Amino acid sequence: MIRTKDSLRMSYRASVLLAATLLPLAVAAGDPIAGKEKSATCAACHGADGVSSAPTFPTLAGQHETYLVQSLKQYRDGSRKNAVMAPMAANLSDEDIADLAAFYARQKGPLKTVKY
Amino acid sequence: MRAIAFFLLAGASAAASAADVEAGKVKFDTCMGCHGIESYTNAYPTYDVPRVAGQHAAYLEAALKAYRSRERNHPTMISQAASLSDEDIADIAAFLAQAGQ
Repeated sequence: MIRTKDSLRMSYRASVLLAATLLPLAVAAGDPIAGKEKSATCAACHGADGVSSAPTFPTLAGQHETYLVQSLKQYRDGSRKNAVMAPMAANLSDEDIADLAAFYARQKGPLKTVKY
Repeated sequence: MRAIAFFLLAGASAAASAADVEAGKVKFDTCMGCHGIESYTNAYPTYDVPRVAGQHAAYLEAALKAYRSRERNHPTMISQAASLSDEDIADIAAFLAQAGQ
């Protein structure tokens, strides 16, 4: 096969595309075991397994992982405002957030998608 | 002291039972388009729409009121919550809280 400039450019593009596709997967993969360790502070309000006993604090057990990531990032960047959560999220790295979300999403709880 | 606690408890449960689960179910109909589909995602950024059945009513009420006042910023939820009364919000929250059982 003769590699023309065009075909090289094509394969370069393909590899960039592949990397761009894989990158979000790498970022999203949290470690639930590390998340459990990091959740000690959260347990005071959200419960040890993410089922909160106080009704003003949301239950996190069984919530969608990507929603939990989104929420923590919004608390961290201030786009979601909450006096309690802002300082909690302020010092979390992307990895911490991914780990915490992976842990809570895997706990058993009452949360469900609504069915009639 | 005990009498005060009793009145507070009685008042709280009266307020909670004032919410109408059946009415909440009817009012939630519009919401089913997103919150009734297991794998439904927000368009941008992409993340799964939260599971809300089985969530605490008090938290859900606070969330809907925060959308209504635009304190919590999500374009779709702001427009959904804009026309809800306190009663609507209480009814919807009561319906959702028991929908997890």
